[in-house]
Formats: sequence, structure tokens, C-alpha cells
Amino acid sequence: MDIFSDLMMGLSIAISPINLFYLLIGAIVGMIVGVIPGFGPSAGLAILLPVTFGMDPIGAIMMLAAIYYGAMYGGTITSILLNTPGESATVASTFDGFPLAKKGRAGPALVMQAAASFVGGTVGVILITILAPLFAQVSRSFGPPEYFLLAVMGMLTLLVMIGTNWKFGVISALIGFALGTVGVDLETGQGRYTFGSAELIGGIYFIPIAIGLFGLGELFYAFYTGLHKTGTGGIVQYDKEERFWPSIEDWVSTRFTMVRGSILGFVVGVIPGAGATIASLMAYSTERSISKNGDNFGNGEMAGLVAPETANNAASSGAMIPLLTLGIPGSASTAVLLAAFLLWGLRPGPLFMEQNPELAWGLIASMYLGNMVLLVISIFAIPLFVQMIKVPYRVLGPSVVVVCALGTFSVHASFIETYLMFAAGMVGFFMRLYGFSPAALVLALVLGPLAEEALRQTMTISRGSFGIFIERTPSLSIICVTIALVVLLPLLNRFGNTSAGESEKAGS
Amino acid sequence: MRRVFLVVLLAGVIYYTYVAFADLNFLTRTGRPGPGFFPRVIGISAIFIILWALIDELRKGADEQEKANPEAWQDVVMLMALAIGYAVLLRMFGGFVATVIFLGVTLMVLNRTQPLKNFALAILIPGGVYLLFDRVLNANMPPALYDLPI
Repeated sequence: MDIFSDLMMGLSIAISPINLFYLLIGAIVGMIVGVIPGFGPSAGLAILLPVTFGMDPIGAIMMLAAIYYGAMYGGTITSILLNTPGESATVASTFDGFPLAKKGRAGPALVMQAAASFVGGTVGVILITILAPLFAQVSRSFGPPEYFLLAVMGMLTLLVMIGTNWKFGVISALIGFALGTVGVDLETGQGRYTFGSAELIGGIYFIPIAIGLFGLGELFYAFYTGLHKTGTGGIVQYDKEERFWPSIEDWVSTRFTMVRGSILGFVVGVIPGAGATIASLMAYSTERSISKNGDNFGNGEMAGLVAPETANNAASSGAMIPLLTLGIPGSASTAVLLAAFLLWGLRPGPLFMEQNPELAWGLIASMYLGNMVLLVISIFAIPLFVQMIKVPYRVLGPSVVVVCALGTFSVHASFIETYLMFAAGMVGFFMRLYGFSPAALVLALVLGPLAEEALRQTMTISRGSFGIFIERTPSLSIICVTIALVVLLPLLNRFGNTSAGESEKAGS
Repeated sequence: MRRVFLVVLLAGVIYYTYVAFADLNFLTRTGRPGPGFFPRVIGISAIFIILWALIDELRKGADEQEKANPEAWQDVVMLMALAIGYAVLLRMFGGFVATVIFLGVTLMVLNRTQPLKNFALAILIPGGVYLLFDRVLNANMPPALYDLPI
């Protein structure tokens, strides 16, 4: 009953005209970000974060969250019509989405992906509503040892999921950790790597690095791959089809797929470091293995599109749980969202929902509304987004540079941070080009200082003994979960990739 | 080229580790982890893993190395150079004027066939961004070091 009354209170906040307006803007911008190939939710959030300055915190957080989950909706449109995923979480949607479009079923595929995204997103928010207060309650028993272990778990999971390029993933994370040590040491007051610069005393700020790596870095990479030279002739024309709406069989045959994808996606999303991409690939391979039409996956099977779509949207909801209840971001996108919370002086964690009920429940309630708004936009505004795909990258690219530069400057009116953003953009390009992981770097930059502080506090409590990590029940539980994840996730990841690879072959 | 990138990273982390050992204490006077604890662990781990990755790269045969593609580099290097130029212009002429110049030049280079459209975009986009940041959001726009007589 408490949850219900909290949710109603949140709904009354989210439904105010100004917050609804911000939600709508966030949903549209999120879809645009998702539609542009190469730009994922992390890039969109990082670039647009400065735009929310001057807004009321609740409206701003709602808008940013809408950009985050809206990008998941938008990313699939290009997967279906262009065979080019808008971002990594929608790669699995190309396996059956594009073959469906080639068969002349682009209209039904677009509607079904919108419906699947809606179901995944809504189931995810229902599970957040039920589970977030429970997580918050459990995490109240957490102290510095548990926070240190959670940060380690987040990084380890991410690195394990990187797979074959794990060495480059570790290097990326270590660079992030190293950048996180710049600034005055809070315990002793000693300057670290400041080289006498007043600008570096407070440390390397997270936002310019995130904007540079995800915004400029991705843009440079898109130019390297020649995206600015390609035309838009590959778009499948969906508006000339006889039948736009899905058939009853499409709905009936995928009803359990939606449920399975939503639950699997949410669970994977909650695990720090796993994320929507892994969730969508796992959902696809699971569906392929249990479906009666498994052999047809990769040739335009509706369940093959619905499974990853429900999973990636449910995962983006699931990733909000560790963020809201522990203050630990599980992905690069939620790391940017954490930065947004911190900018408004809000510290997510075990007491966040209790101390900021308006904001926490307003955000959760807004996610219900956001998914409804996105469902409507996804179905009825598709022609608009298709026009957007047609804007040449060579025209879009320079505008992205402008927004990145002016957005970074607007945060602290600092030219040093703006130059840092340009430098991060170039480093981000080379990282992307040579197989390193900008996401691991950003996550380490956020988690590094948290982990260091927690470890030093732990050592103070235990008088220098590492035994504290196995003496406390919550710490021991986290260690066991981490070991289980590190052992199980690579196996599941390999299984997902194998199935995905087979489907790609079947489709090509 | 990946080898060069790894060598640059290696040089950076060696310097980082040197500072961690030379300037930062490993433990505090009370025996707890000091300001150099994390940097030393990070630095040594980074040197070890980068060397490992570098050796792997050197072991790869010539056929496994990525082939240089000058055409692919041409446009990205140009965009990077233009972006650096934009960073310099921002400091000199401020947000609005620098953006007009940057967009004008970049669009003329990348989108040569549509000069009128480029001209319109070079004026409209900075105008829109100025209205959004300066007027609507009341956010900071880079100020000019030298004002142009316009």
C-alpha cells in the first residue's frame, strides 16, 4: 500500500504540465539520438546534459531519463529499415528486423518493435516499483566494504563481458582509474597529479571526458568508417506496403516472448556492468533455442525481433535499480545519469528514496508515462524519424562538434574543460578504432574515486585487515555473487554470440 | 598503428607510476593506505598489462596487422584539424562568431555541392544555439578575447 501511495504521489508530480513537457521533449530527443547511427544513449545524455541546466531538478532528471530509455526505442528503426543499428543494444534487432523489412513486412516490424519496447519498458518499471524499495532496504546494511566490493563487481562484470578484447578493456578501465586519482587527496590534503594547476585541484571532471569520448569520439569514428559519404538509398520503403499493422498471429505468437524477454532483460540490467546489449543478445539466443521456429531465426521471424527489443528496454529500466538504491552506476549511460544527479546536489543511495521521495517516485512514475508517450511516438512519428535518417552525416557532424563544445563550456565556463573534451574526443576515436572500451574508461572514472574512498574507509574500520571482507555477511554475499557472475556470464555471453552469429549467417 | 598507440599509453603510465612512487606516500603515518596507494597499484597493473598487449601485437604477423587506409584517414584528420581550429577560435572570438566560422568552413569542405544551404546552416545553427544557451537556458557561452567589428 505504501508503494502504491508513493507511486500516486510520484504520478501527481510527473503529470504536471511542465514535467510532461520535459518528458515529451526527452522522449523525442531520445528517439532522435537512437535513430542516428553511432550515437547511443550515453552520447546523447552526455551531450545534452548541459542543456538541462537552469531547469527544475525533477523535470531535468525526468527529461534525461526519457532520453536514456527513448534511445532504446529509436535505435531499432534504423536496424529494421537500414540494417544499421542505431546503437549496440539494437544490434540483435537487425538479425530478424531487416529480413522482415526485406520481405515487405517493415510496417508490422516497426509496430511490433514499438509494442515490444513498450512491454519491456513497462514491465521493467513495474519491477522497479516493487523491487527498488526492497533493494534500498537491503542496502541500508551496506558499509564501505560492501560499496568497495560493488564497485569491483561492476568493473569485473563489464570487463568479463568485453570478451576477447579483455586486455584492452582492462587497459581502458585502468586509464579511467588513473584519471580518477587526479586532484587533492581528501584524506591527507596532498595534491596528486595537479602539477600546480588550480583547475586540476578538484580533479578531472567527468562530463568533458564523457562528452569527448562518446560524442566527439563516436563522430570521428563515424567519419573514419565513411558514414558521411554513404547515401540513404538502402532504406526500405515501408509506406508503400499494403499492410502496415501486424496480424493477430504476430501478436499471439509473441505474447510469451515479450514476457520472457522482459524478465530476462530486467535481471541482466540489474547486474552492474552487464547492460542492454548483453540482455538483447541473451534474449535473442534464448528465444531461438526454445522457439518451435528456431531454424527460421535470421530469416525474418517476428519473435526474433520482439525478444531483443523487450529485453533491451527492460534492461535499461533494470539498470536504474543499482543507480537509485546503491548510487552505483552499472553502465556508461547510468554513469552520466549519476553525474546529473550529483550536479543537482543529489546523492543516490540507500536513503535516496526515503530522503527524496518526490524525485525518486516522480522519476519512476514518469517512466510509466514516458513509455506510453514513446509507444505513440514510435508508431505515428516514424515518417518523421525516417526523414531524419536522410539528413547526411556530413551536415550533421559539424553541428555535433558545436553542441559538444558549447555544451561542455556551459557547465563550468571553463576553457580548460572544453580543451579536455576535444582531447578526450581524439583519444576516444583511437580507443574505438583499436578495440579499446570508452565505456570501461568512463565507468572506471566514476567508480574509481568511490572505490578508493570506500577501501580506505574499510581499512580504517578494520585497522588494515582485509579479513573484514569475509567476516561481514553482506560483503561475503557480494563476493559470492561476483564469483558466480564472473564464471557464468562469459558462458552465457559465448552462447548468445554463437546463436547471434548463426542467425547473422542465416540472414545474409 | 595500434602498436604506436600502445607505446604512447605505455609512456604515459610509466610517467604516472614514476610520480606515484616519487611524490606520493604508499601508507599514511598511521599505517593506512596513503595517497599513493591506489596510483601505485593502478600504475604497476597498467604497465604490466600494456606490455603484455604490446608483446601480443608485436607477435602478430604482418598479415594480421591492420592495413592503412589513407582515404579513410583523410576526412577524419581534416575534421580533427577543423575541430582543433574551432577550439582556438572559441577562445579568440567567442561562441557565436567562432561557430559561424567553423560551420561555414567545415560545411564548405565537406558538403561542396550545396553552398547556399551551407551558408544558411552556418548562420542558422549558431543563431539557434545562441538563443537556446544564452537566452532560454541562461547558460555560459564562451566570451571573446578579441571582439570583431560586427
